[in-house]
Amino acid sequence: MTDPDIRAALEEQTVHRRLMRFGEAESLATPMWEERDTTIRAVAGHLASLWDATQPLEEGAAPTITEKGLPHARASVLNLIVTVVDDPAADRVVHTLMGLGVRHPSRAVVLVPEPGDAPLPLDARISTHCHDASGGGDRICYEEVVLTVRGEAAHHLSGIVAPLLIHDLPTHVWWPGDPPFNDPVFDQLIEFGDRLIVDSADFVDLLGGLRRLANLRRRSGVGDLTWERLAWWQELTAQFFDAPRFRRYLPNLSRLRIQYAVPPPASSRHDEDEEVAPGVAAPMVQALLYAGWIATRLGWRRHRTVQPLDDAGFRLRLEGKHEMVDLLVEPVATDAVRPGELLSVRLRSLGETGAAEFIVDRDGEDAMVATNADGMTALLRRVSMDAPRESELLSSQLTVDRADRVYEDALRAAAILLASAREVAA
Amino acid sequence: MATPTVEAKVERVDDDSRASTAQTVRPNPLREGLRLERMAEPCTMVICGATGDLSERKLGPALYNTLLGGFLPPEFTVVGFARRDLSDEDFRNHLLEGINKHSRNKPAKPAIWESFARGIEYHRGDFDDPAAYVELAKRLERIDRDRGTAGNRLFYLAVPPNLYPEIVNQLDRAGLAASGTHRRTGSNRGWTRVIVEKPFGYDLESARTLNRVIAEVFVEDQVYRIDHYLGKETVQNLAVFRFGNGLFEPIWNRRYIDSVQITVAETVGVEGRGDFYDATGALRDIVQNHALQLMAMFAIEPPVEFTAEDLRDEKLKVLRGVKPMSTAEVATNMVRAQYVSGWVEGERISSYRDAPEVVPDSQTETFVAMKLGIDSWRWAGVPFYLRTGKALPSRVTEIAVQFKRAPLALFARAGVPQIDDNVLAIRVQPDEGILLRFGAKVPGQGLQIRNVNMDFRYGSSFAVDSPDAYETLILDAMIGDASLFTRDDEVERAWEILQPVLDAWQNGAGGPLHFYAAGSWGPPAADELLERDGRAWRRP
Repeated sequence: MTDPDIRAALEEQTVHRRLMRFGEAESLATPMWEERDTTIRAVAGHLASLWDATQPLEEGAAPTITEKGLPHARASVLNLIVTVVDDPAADRVVHTLMGLGVRHPSRAVVLVPEPGDAPLPLDARISTHCHDASGGGDRICYEEVVLTVRGEAAHHLSGIVAPLLIHDLPTHVWWPGDPPFNDPVFDQLIEFGDRLIVDSADFVDLLGGLRRLANLRRRSGVGDLTWERLAWWQELTAQFFDAPRFRRYLPNLSRLRIQYAVPPPASSRHDEDEEVAPGVAAPMVQALLYAGWIATRLGWRRHRTVQPLDDAGFRLRLEGKHEMVDLLVEPVATDAVRPGELLSVRLRSLGETGAAEFIVDRDGEDAMVATNADGMTALLRRVSMDAPRESELLSSQLTVDRADRVYEDALRAAAILLASAREVAA
Repeated sequence: MATPTVEAKVERVDDDSRASTAQTVRPNPLREGLRLERMAEPCTMVICGATGDLSERKLGPALYNTLLGGFLPPEFTVVGFARRDLSDEDFRNHLLEGINKHSRNKPAKPAIWESFARGIEYHRGDFDDPAAYVELAKRLERIDRDRGTAGNRLFYLAVPPNLYPEIVNQLDRAGLAASGTHRRTGSNRGWTRVIVEKPFGYDLESARTLNRVIAEVFVEDQVYRIDHYLGKETVQNLAVFRFGNGLFEPIWNRRYIDSVQITVAETVGVEGRGDFYDATGALRDIVQNHALQLMAMFAIEPPVEFTAEDLRDEKLKVLRGVKPMSTAEVATNMVRAQYVSGWVEGERISSYRDAPEVVPDSQTETFVAMKLGIDSWRWAGVPFYLRTGKALPSRVTEIAVQFKRAPLALFARAGVPQIDDNVLAIRVQPDEGILLRFGAKVPGQGLQIRNVNMDFRYGSSFAVDSPDAYETLILDAMIGDASLFTRDDEVERAWEILQPVLDAWQNGAGGPLHFYAAGSWGPPAADELLERDGRAWRRP
């Protein structure tokens, strides 16, 4: 999504604050409660009153009881803590969260720390969003608290957020953008959550970020939106080898070529002022994680660097179980898809009966999936390849509640592959 | 040297429909940790009766949604088998129209559909023509070669049950029924499974005959009898609810549970199915399968393992605990009724006997209320009240557990009337969920107690499109998981329970046929059935 898109989306959101279309479901938003220079106690008090059926309704507010006179069922499945750097980032996050409510009734606390001298330590705004479910007067609701924390308090965010969480529910900490791995506030907050979610495509120092992430020990592990983007590619790749007769090609893979999208050269852009779209600080990471995934599942080892990292592409020689493997990672300049998205994956293998190739080629919203093996090209099909939105990626990550060992392996391998490509010590 | 053990193993595999080549090859290392673990094996699904209503309304959409979810392997192939003279293209369009009309994801995406449609073929033939099956066998072999379906076949009998024997025997004669390793050549020919739609027989006798006919050709674990109620999320959740939580299981017995009510209510009349329904009735149509299966799933003992065989063993145990009634018991414990004209959901429904293709003096019941007991250590003395009917006020399927009253009326002194019993209602449809009702003090001076509901709804906690029951069940059959399908002995036991009722009604000895206005909750006799025991039906 480019910036104008986001701006348009945010405008649309302001216009339809009261009534949003959400796929099939209509969303009702209560009027926002907003208070400057407030206290955590006041915020917590307001949150509690939201579900109090005896409170008089504000004008235009969504009623808290159903037609049958019962209070609206309020189901919650998790807490989400989000930390952002500034107000525009907070707006972007709020936009993403709207896509979330319908799947994860939850309480989201968005923190905007503004350290420095400030007379007013805390601003808060609270809104709830409900979606009519099944038309039977049932609602799925989520609450969103945006807190601007100034001054000294910005260094003690965990104490701010603690009273606002719904007890006994898993707490996820989502850190959009480049996480400040060395900031004590970061440690404090992730200590608080059961699980940390980042997007490794946002890492400015990619190698450093991957290494830090790989060494982070969290109770329920670490989630990565970029890993989630790979899910469908992984599924398609695994499907090649579900058929036993093709599985025997797997130990003999000799070449893996991954192509991914990078933005076209700046000169060809229409708008010189256009900022870089979010999530492309490290476009190569998706390809790296994919390669890391295959390498760890198949037990490949690093051997030597054939062509070091140059203009976002590289070539390594790896040691497979039976064969030496050529790993090629190639950038392709295109603006057809979001930078970083995979465009093509080709796996080549030498089997007993000859060479075989397994191909996934993206083509807009679809992909062509083909197997050329056993002298047979009949297995050619088209599959859907919709680019998931950030809220869908996040939503999917929020359903994970334990450490994902396959991801952690791939993450470590991705760091090693990148270090090899850069010819630095792994 | 071939040791005897190896030979013995080969023999056993021969009879095991679940044996597949996948077990002899190491598992796919790329599958580890991926979300989609329920991937079907490459196979061909042959739909017998492919041009019918079920293909259009249910099977096509179920396959398409399963495909979109990524659960179908690229090799997956569909062969429609029916009498009508259609081309491959006609049949594909038949399925496509069904998807565009009935699928939860619609319309079909053109590029995806075109690619999927390449794996859809039509096989014209008469079900009683041996040549048609010989040709079918050749076609399936060709598909195995071209598309890599590895000899795995799933036959879906989407035809009226009177055609089952013919089709099953013809499949056998054409060599299409065998599964597992080939006895002579030792080669693995893949698995063969058959999905059978309800009704499973018309009475005990016919059910036994049908099972025998199928058993002559297929081994029981090749047979998947579909009861789509078992594919619903809440029914699956029953087991999770009971055995995945430590809270409920300790009170799930006669010591704490007063009684159980199971309601399967429909608002529609017989609408266009007059001739079928008039020969069937509510007892055969709903009680024999859905209602008794719901009861069995509700009441089972914890299985040793959560496997198909253990689960079905436990369900059978429950059904064996239900003792068939004597004629006198039928008259006291069963109420049958038929609807007369009335209003449902703002629309007038005319009397059952005025419906097309229903005989004017029909004695067929459109409503059944009954009281059953399960003679087991856990359930002895707990009445299970079942009711089902057409033209009732609302469409709802639920199991309601009434808990025993608190032993002392501690608050009676304060002038508070006896508090209602605690109820736990498990709703299967339309809005799947679980509701717990208990008493709470009304805030304020003095002591007033009111019932409050604690309501968990799937819709408001997991706003995810639940898969249609057919999607779950067809995928299960492809994977070889029979947990949610009924076994032959369960089917026969259910008929054993109901046969005395059918006989008594047939002989006019089981009490009169009552009448109820469409849009009411059945005849007064149904209420009396509970009032006798000092209880009342819930208004679901």
